[in-house]
Amino acid sequence: MNFFNDYKKQIFTIVAVILAITAVISVGKKTNATIIDNALGLVITPVQSITTTVGGWFSEKIGNIKGENSLAAENEELRAQVELLETENKRLSLYEEENKRLSELLEISQKYAEYETTGADIIAKDPSNWYYTFVINKGTKDSLDSEMVLISSGGLVGKITETGYNYSKCQSILDSRSSVSAMSLRTGDLGVVKGDYSLMDDGLCKMEYIDAESEIMKGDEIVTSNLSEIYPAGITIGYVKEVVTDNNGLTKYAIIEPEVDFKHLSTLLVVMDKKEEVEIK
Amino acid sequence: MRRVLIIFLILVINLIFQTSVLPAFAIRGIVPNTALIIIISFSLLRGSFEGCLVGFFAGLLQDIFFGDTLCTYALLGTVTGFFAGKFNHGFFRENYATPVIISMASAVIYETAVYVIGFLFKGNLHYFYFVITIIVPEAVYTALCTFIIYRILFSVNDYIENKEKHKRKLFSIK
Repeated sequence: MNFFNDYKKQIFTIVAVILAITAVISVGKKTNATIIDNALGLVITPVQSITTTVGGWFSEKIGNIKGENSLAAENEELRAQVELLETENKRLSLYEEENKRLSELLEISQKYAEYETTGADIIAKDPSNWYYTFVINKGTKDSLDSEMVLISSGGLVGKITETGYNYSKCQSILDSRSSVSAMSLRTGDLGVVKGDYSLMDDGLCKMEYIDAESEIMKGDEIVTSNLSEIYPAGITIGYVKEVVTDNNGLTKYAIIEPEVDFKHLSTLLVVMDKKEEVEIK
Repeated sequence: MRRVLIIFLILVINLIFQTSVLPAFAIRGIVPNTALIIIISFSLLRGSFEGCLVGFFAGLLQDIFFGDTLCTYALLGTVTGFFAGKFNHGFFRENYATPVIISMASAVIYETAVYVIGFLFKGNLHYFYFVITIIVPEAVYTALCTFIIYRILFSVNDYIENKEKHKRKLFSIK
């Protein structure tokens, strides 16, 4: 204690410099969790999943009180929708069969491969107000790995950045550090979907570097392109909400409304196949 | 030892609370920085040395679960604890104004540092946009939460100090 009081400033400066150097060295290293991380994860993640469930239960109860009257009407509506979807599903499976047969005839491989997925729950969110990252309750124990892709209800959620024994850190596509190579399904125009801080709170993101002469317009479906190293091609990202020409007049950017409702996201699917493996199949 | 265990437990509970319960209390997407309040409280109550340690471990926990580098938040926490500890001398513990003002001021500085590290270095120059949308609302929300959390930590610290005093007396009798 006395030693610390005597050389307070010197010790403080040295410690600060060491920490700064460690921070700079560890930038951009995508290593998986160390023993210390895993030990902490083993203690903390079970508690987090309980507290998240409790929090979710409360907000659900509050929601129930509000919406009890409309439940019957909603049930009716959903039944009708199930009917509709079932008939459509039958029709589509016929199409799939036909597609398989025709592509076999033409000797082209399936463009939209089927992925093996596993479900996971979100158990914690980033405590700072700057980023959109979260933690899910599965890790290397369930053979997850970093750079695996997350989807939910048919739309892209993000990717895993780091895995521990029983948890994984994930980055959503709304995070300002995220960028996904994307393509407009109708016109085939390429771009990059990036998170943007000012749009993050509204659950929107931005598609940048679109060619100024492209005919992309409101309502177009945006999917992941086959240029990406991580994301498999053909996963829906969202729909164009607005197209704006950049100040320089050479490129456009579009505001994208993601397919996934990030505000009410609690469970998601992890695509177990990494991109390289998918392509070999 | 008792002190170390209790503070570590507080930090772990805070991390769980901050990441799984607090998002439900977000106002327009802004949540208060409760880890910062704990750092400020301990450095005001106990001085720079303990402030540094609490700041380091609070930051390290956040780095492990959410940071993309290893020591960024740990560094910020340590520096915050050190400078807040400067106000330890001549500070009345029962006076709530000092911790509230200091936690508000340090929230502004802390979040500015996060902006500089995470956004300015990547070429984002909209500092005043972030001041209005994140930094000021978070500082105000944090200051409001300081009333509650400082009160709790104040009694926790009192409890630990009482126990320690008791122990010291036992030794002096011998």
